[in-house]
Amino acid sequence: MKSVAMKTLCRVLIVSLMSLTFQTASAGMIRTEQAAAAISPDRALVLSTLTRSDVSEQMQAQGLDPAIAAERVAAMTDAEVRTLADNINTAPAGGLSTLAAVVIIGLLVWVIWYRR
Amino acid sequence: MNLGLLALQGLRALRRPLGLLALLGLIGALAGCAQMVPQTIGLRSGWPAEVPRQLELDAVPFFAQSDYQCGPAALATVLHASGAQADPDALVRQVYLPSRQGSLQVEMLAAPRLHGRVAWQLPPHYDALLRELAAGRPVLVLQDVGLPPFANWHYAVVVGFNYEAGELYLRSGTTRREVVPFTIFELTWRRSGYWAMVVNKPGTLPATATEASYLPALLAFERSAQPEESRRAWAAFAQRWPGNRLASLALANRHYEAHDLLQAEAVLQVALLKHPDSPELINNLAQVVSDQGRHAEALALIDRAAVGEGPFAADIATTRAGIVQRRDAPR
Repeated sequence: MKSVAMKTLCRVLIVSLMSLTFQTASAGMIRTEQAAAAISPDRALVLSTLTRSDVSEQMQAQGLDPAIAAERVAAMTDAEVRTLADNINTAPAGGLSTLAAVVIIGLLVWVIWYRR
Repeated sequence: MNLGLLALQGLRALRRPLGLLALLGLIGALAGCAQMVPQTIGLRSGWPAEVPRQLELDAVPFFAQSDYQCGPAALATVLHASGAQADPDALVRQVYLPSRQGSLQVEMLAAPRLHGRVAWQLPPHYDALLRELAAGRPVLVLQDVGLPPFANWHYAVVVGFNYEAGELYLRSGTTRREVVPFTIFELTWRRSGYWAMVVNKPGTLPATATEASYLPALLAFERSAQPEESRRAWAAFAQRWPGNRLASLALANRHYEAHDLLQAEAVLQVALLKHPDSPELINNLAQVVSDQGRHAEALALIDRAAVGEGPFAADIATTRAGIVQRRDAPR
């Protein structure tokens, strides 16, 4: 039980640390992200920190190491995180096995060169 | 209808003279649906003006994929072509999703940012793909190479084409130079919604980018970019589309972080000419001016923005208070 609580705490801390690094602009200046969120017509896309940690956990459930999942989520925009939160299990995942690649390409070559 | 059969017949037709024409006739006659490859047919009457009839980017490197890892291999290909030394193994960690046995489009667009490159999704047209190639940029595409109804998603990189021969050239899977007819390619590409992306070195712009479409790509890049790379990217944007409200703010902020107050001021002044009432531009310009000791000028400026409410009302009040405090402070 203790380790589950610790894991959750660590995740929250990791994500909140990451969001902190984006808020280090000087006093008096309006930050780019802040202006983008206010000016952008799609303000509904602004996410809570929680959604990021949710997606990070979903990615861990897909077989990723926690630190790597956190790094990958950090590179995404709010809109991208939202997209992933909705369809991580259904979005197209490009990944052909080497065998399939060889068979498909072999088929093409065969068709073009030997069946004319 | 049987797509596989159509593909076989089409490929055979291509070996003969006027192959492309015969193939199009075949498709029309067999299926009664020229809509299967609308863009290929569109190219016959409307080849993009500034694009040559044939070209091949021979220098684009090739990374043979491992099982299910066409995503990392394709990404390594375009990243290296843009001058980023991305290790394919590192890319596996960044875009491969083990339980899905593949890579998601969202992550393909996010990962280049970790390598200092701006990723940009192209408009879903042959036209855009060809124009990027003509600008010397290989294009990463998502295809469905499975025979219906089974989907088999696959990432590959288009590196060239020959219009007369009706062929495209791809770095794909374990094949360094795959030759695919325009029609067959469209059949596989169309099922991903003609999904394609390029990566750009900060400071260069995609040939097909527009002001509205490229802004989100740079805002996304800004999240993980080094300050200097981000500044270079915004500078190129500002040069192509001067005075953009958000881009100018972003560029000025990068100058400000680098303590280049004069540049920051110049950028904001240009943007203010175009957007004289924009509160966030006024606020940041007032701060920059005050930082140079011109407090009275800064106050006059910020009082233009300090009326009414808005998303920045609290920031503007804080900035104004800061300026007043500095003006009144004993030297």
